[in-house]
Amino acid sequence: MRRNIDIAVALGIVVALPLLLSSGSLASEVLIYALAVLGCNLLLGYTGLLSFGQGIFFGLGSYTIGLMLTRTGLPMPLALVASIILGGLAAGLVGIVSIRQKGTYFVMLTLAFAQMFYFLAYSVPSLTGGDNGLLNIPRPPLSAFGVVLWDNTTAWQFYAMVAVIFLLVFVALHRVTTSIFGRTLLAIRDNEVRASAIGYNVPRFKLLAFVLSGAVTALAGALNAMMVGVAPLANAEFHVSEMILVMTVIGGAGNLAASLIGALFYVLAADWLSTLWPRWLMLLGVLLVVISLGMQRGLWGLIEDGFLALTGRFKRTGEIRVEEKQV
Amino acid sequence: MSAEFLLEARQVTKHYGKFVALGGVDLRVRRNTVHSVIGPNGAGKTTLFHMLTGTLGATGGSIAFDGQDVTREPAHVRVRKGMARSFQVTSLFPTLTVRENLRLAAQGVNARRAFNLWRSPQGHWSCAEMVDRVIERLGLRNQERTAAGSLSHGQQRRLEVGMALSAEPKAIFLDEPTSGMGIDDLDDMKTLIADLGRDYTVVLIEHNMGIVMDISHTVTVMQQGRVLVEGTPQSVRDDERVRTAYLGSMITGGRK
Amino acid sequence: MSVYLLQTVNGVGIGMLYFLLAVGLSIVFGLLRFVNFAHGVFYLLGAYFCFEAVRQGMSFWAALLVVPLFVAAVGWVAEKTLLRHVYAKPHEFHILITVGVALIIQELVIVQWGPLGDSVAVPTGLEGVVMWGDFIYPKYRLFVIGVTAGLAVLLWWVLEGTRLGSAVRAGSESPEMVSLLGINVFRLFSLVFALGAATAAIAGVLAAPIRGVEPFMGIEALAVAFVVVVVGGLGSFTGALVGGILIGVVQSVMSTLWPEGARLMIYVAMAAVLLLRPNGLLGKGG
Repeated sequence: MRRNIDIAVALGIVVALPLLLSSGSLASEVLIYALAVLGCNLLLGYTGLLSFGQGIFFGLGSYTIGLMLTRTGLPMPLALVASIILGGLAAGLVGIVSIRQKGTYFVMLTLAFAQMFYFLAYSVPSLTGGDNGLLNIPRPPLSAFGVVLWDNTTAWQFYAMVAVIFLLVFVALHRVTTSIFGRTLLAIRDNEVRASAIGYNVPRFKLLAFVLSGAVTALAGALNAMMVGVAPLANAEFHVSEMILVMTVIGGAGNLAASLIGALFYVLAADWLSTLWPRWLMLLGVLLVVISLGMQRGLWGLIEDGFLALTGRFKRTGEIRVEEKQV
Repeated sequence: MSAEFLLEARQVTKHYGKFVALGGVDLRVRRNTVHSVIGPNGAGKTTLFHMLTGTLGATGGSIAFDGQDVTREPAHVRVRKGMARSFQVTSLFPTLTVRENLRLAAQGVNARRAFNLWRSPQGHWSCAEMVDRVIERLGLRNQERTAAGSLSHGQQRRLEVGMALSAEPKAIFLDEPTSGMGIDDLDDMKTLIADLGRDYTVVLIEHNMGIVMDISHTVTVMQQGRVLVEGTPQSVRDDERVRTAYLGSMITGGRK
Repeated sequence: MSVYLLQTVNGVGIGMLYFLLAVGLSIVFGLLRFVNFAHGVFYLLGAYFCFEAVRQGMSFWAALLVVPLFVAAVGWVAEKTLLRHVYAKPHEFHILITVGVALIIQELVIVQWGPLGDSVAVPTGLEGVVMWGDFIYPKYRLFVIGVTAGLAVLLWWVLEGTRLGSAVRAGSESPEMVSLLGINVFRLFSLVFALGAATAAIAGVLAAPIRGVEPFMGIEALAVAFVVVVVGGLGSFTGALVGGILIGVVQSVMSTLWPEGARLMIYVAMAAVLLLRPNGLLGKGG
């Protein structure tokens, strides 16, 4: 029953966004960032890995699709696939070096690598456009064998394509997190040493999770580049990594639907508050502090608690995992 | 390598910088026996366990298990070879249920299959048969859907042993399984371990001499990173050197 | 004068600042088991408070003394009111709460001083260059090297030669033991955290006349501090020193050979060290 709620929520929000928002771009932005948050959540909520490097893959995805679409004749679906694959490979590289390190070292390394990628992007303008980024990235229609299947010209048309992609990824990740692999990740999150002692090659599991995370985040970056038409250097900035992490924590780590909630909250808050007060990020900082102090399960946790209080029937006791209030 | 001995450790050493935790330990464990390792605190018993099971790497020496050299192999590989352990300080998966803890342990023997991103652990993949068997043996049927972190201390210690059991190992390494247990739980645990001794080879670290003397076939006494004495429980109990090591007071337990 | 000599000396200067940044982080981690992601904003505050103080007419020398104390106080308050409450929680929340604090402070800086940067004048008496035969070098940068070297010695003496230092080193091994010895562990934590903030602030004050102030300098400082700590080895004083100077020299020399790539090379150097020595050059074994 638990599993279907997550998918139902995702479906519900995807359908509701066009009804509630007036801007197709904003709606797409929600889903695009939700994809990135899903990637981050797989690491944080399921494997217990805190990564400050998600911006690497987001930026890489943007650059890859930019290069594919402006310099090669690759059709859009294949260009997307290329972004996904490169994201996964990059995550593999970063992962191999970082995962060897324990806990805090790992976190610091991901941040250092994020900076490294930023300066790398800055110093090869022939590939990345340097300070200016890659410009004039098209938004091609979805076509096969010369027949146009889906036009992406308007923002809402593009949203439809993004929505389908998002739902596919969501369902796939849902499958992964409830699979034997996903359950092993949970064990690793709970107690790495024990997981190793009972037979699991922990670094390999972490690496695979990292690769998946990189692939999904790169997909988000690619869609983002198509949406705005630009692959800016800013996509590789520390700020992006930070915000993805913030969205993950605000939504609630450890739950896929929560990722969507976190992204939704952030994108809407940014859109609304940034016109009211340019320094609205300060509120985000306050929210982070509040969550660390008392609201560790994020917004999703609040919603769950609300349901529990109201209905008394909604059980959080799943077949495998019981949410404990204290940790 | 002798077929009589399941585990043969030779001259195992462990250095932490200049500190010598183990100064050359020999240990040979016969198949299907209960072999206890005892000694005062700081003797290096748990360190020895870490070396044997691969939790930490040894600085020197060799370890052979079931005829194979496992000295350089990490813990998760040794599990596949038939070694399983419990920990002195309870180390479970606290947010996961008892059933899930045991399923993970059962699955861990065949860990490569756990890279399955598609199937969820149900039906054929759920290791349910093994998990049920272990739950019955541990007497934890009523707690099977409780989070491991919510169990009582005694129940947790039993689950610790259960985790090792689920791997259907050749040798089970129990590190102070009764630590912190009350009298009621103690008897249950003693029966459980004696029971295990019939089906598996058990290597046991214990401070409770009642258990050690009653159920062990062989006892190895360690002191300051080395083996002091080894022999049957009776011979160890009567040994002068052992009495001195323990300041003469502690090995009086046991009631046959 | 050879460009390479110039850049090497520059590198040592920057490296000493990097050392100062990293050592605070390292000490705090050693004792509190806490990676303080707000470390960068203490550097930021140091620079900006110095900028404001000088603008208000205070002498640079006074600022050098007063500002770090002020920032230390900020650190003390933050630790007592906020950070202390998360020690018992999973380590991701230690990191996240400091990220939150860092965000808040950074935005406050922008509110107060605007999003663009500014410059800080080199203090009077230290303008211009020294000329020792062939060796021509800015006075201020020599001053920075001198001060940071002196601070390094001072810190070393505190850690190795005082009771406070012993408590910190003992507490890094075992906080429980330290409290059993009758030392108020909580006060020790606050003190050490404030000390870490102070060293970052001093680095900020010293750096301000060289590179000016700007609101995002904290993030880069944090990343560099991480690199130095990773290269030198977490928890090692000499590691922070060696790592800092190494990274500083790499950056400076590279800025002559390949300007766009100078910053990149810091991270490449880090990756190289990690591949060869996963615990850092002088790190304690895992």
